Amino acid sequence: MAERADSVRARAGVLAMVILGAVFAGAPFGAPAAAVASAPGAVIRLTNTLAFEPKAVTVHVGQAVEWRNGSLLVHTVTADPALAANAKDVALPAGAKPFNSGDLKPGATYRHIFAVPGRYRYFCIPHEGAGMVGEVVVLPAQVGVR
Amino acid sequence: MKPKLTIEDSRVRRRPGRRYLLLGVLAGATALSGCAATQNAMMKMMPASMKQKMMAKMTREMQAQDPWKGYLAAHRGETKPLGLLGGPVRVSIRQEGGGVFVALPDYRRLDPDVFGTPKLPRAYGGTPGISGVPPMARAEDDGHYTKLKMLSPFGDKYTVMADGRLKLSALDATATDAARTRDWTHMTASWKDKAGNVYEVKCCRMMAAHGLEFPTFGGVATNLILHGSSRIGTPLMPTEYTYFAFWGVGSVMKNGEVVDPHRLIHGMLTEYVRTTGYRLGFDKDITPTRLQFHLMVAPFKPDMKTGHFDPAPVKTGFRLPNGMPLPFWHVMFENLKIEARRG
Ligand SMILES: [Cu+2]
Repeated sequence: MAERADSVRARAGVLAMVILGAVFAGAPFGAPAAAVASAPGAVIRLTNTLAFEPKAVTVHVGQAVEWRNGSLLVHTVTADPALAANAKDVALPAGAKPFNSGDLKPGATYRHIFAVPGRYRYFCIPHEGAGMVGEVVVLPAQVGVR
Repeated sequence: MKPKLTIEDSRVRRRPGRRYLLLGVLAGATALSGCAATQNAMMKMMPASMKQKMMAKMTREMQAQDPWKGYLAAHRGETKPLGLLGGPVRVSIRQEGGGVFVALPDYRRLDPDVFGTPKLPRAYGGTPGISGVPPMARAEDDGHYTKLKMLSPFGDKYTVMADGRLKLSALDATATDAARTRDWTHMTASWKDKAGNVYEVKCCRMMAAHGLEFPTFGGVATNLILHGSSRIGTPLMPTEYTYFAFWGVGSVMKNGEVVDPHRLIHGMLTEYVRTTGYRLGFDKDITPTRLQFHLMVAPFKPDMKTGHFDPAPVKTGFRLPNGMPLPFWHVMFENLKIEARRG
């Protein structure tokens, strides 16, 4: 299955609403569609201590992971071998496309929807050397889960 | 980073008259052989005047071992220095917001590749803390050096401050140390603490056309190795490839007012020398393809008469969690936009 709708910068909330609105067209008008629809499979905080917290999360295919930069620093969420200083800091399952948030300023968030199951290893570009690396395990889609 | 190594151990500073731990340690080591415990006990009993004399003697002995004395003697009077091979290099570096890493005093772990072993020590000549680390200032365990016995601006401790801004443009034209230089740097760097105070460093009214204890290459240098085993600048920083560096005279400010007007400022753009948890790495830990900009205002001032450095805490206006003033700025910028060209 090809990756779809992958990387949405939640900061640009409008785009997210449009996409989610399309997916959840059945939601009653006026309901907090974004809040309901966007509930991510996992939330990861980016910290002043150069960590993704939690360092590893598990979600299912079709679910989003949301990264929230609660620090004072600019970080990135990057799973692209072409951008890694050390090859060991990035891993993508066969068939998954690389992704990169670009600079996430303090307070910014970023989402990625995982369409390919497997083990992902990603890093923060400016702090890769300081060990800012995380992991997402994506399991096959749950039956009955939208 | 250049000069540095604060001898401002906060524990020591609470007792006036014993401010300079490093020199105290040196003095003790000079006077006494035998185990560290004995040395410490003897030091405590020693009158202050005797300690001071020993300290001064050891400092002179270390300064006499400065590895760059000959080079500096040959260059500092040159009035027509040659230019860079291939022509001048213009450099621009910016950071527009995001945080910075502010180094806090710590006990630097000692890299055997830089400092050797107690049996065969390296990197000791020069004013202690500026360009050398005296063997007696190094803690040992089982035939290896472990860490520096006193606090310095170089270590694993840091705090993050908000809104880091860096605006730097510079020209590297003059190749070597000399009496005159065509190099220049214009830099404004600022960051903000939790309470909203803005700290700022501006440079350079004047470039260090030549160094006092190690070369400065006209005040701006590009594409060379500094620190560590290079013996240019403190060996407490790793041996690091440096794309751009400057040394000059500038001001330290807080909330728009000058709080320390005449300081030696050093900045450099290097490969990434921090490792897991932002610990200051050894040479083997460097990430060559990531960059960081380091800004250093060291707790020393040059004494042009003696040709050496004297301790002089920087009036940063920032207090450590224990209430003591931070006596240096050592700040890292890591979200950089860099441009450079020849000509
Ligand atoms: Cu980061």
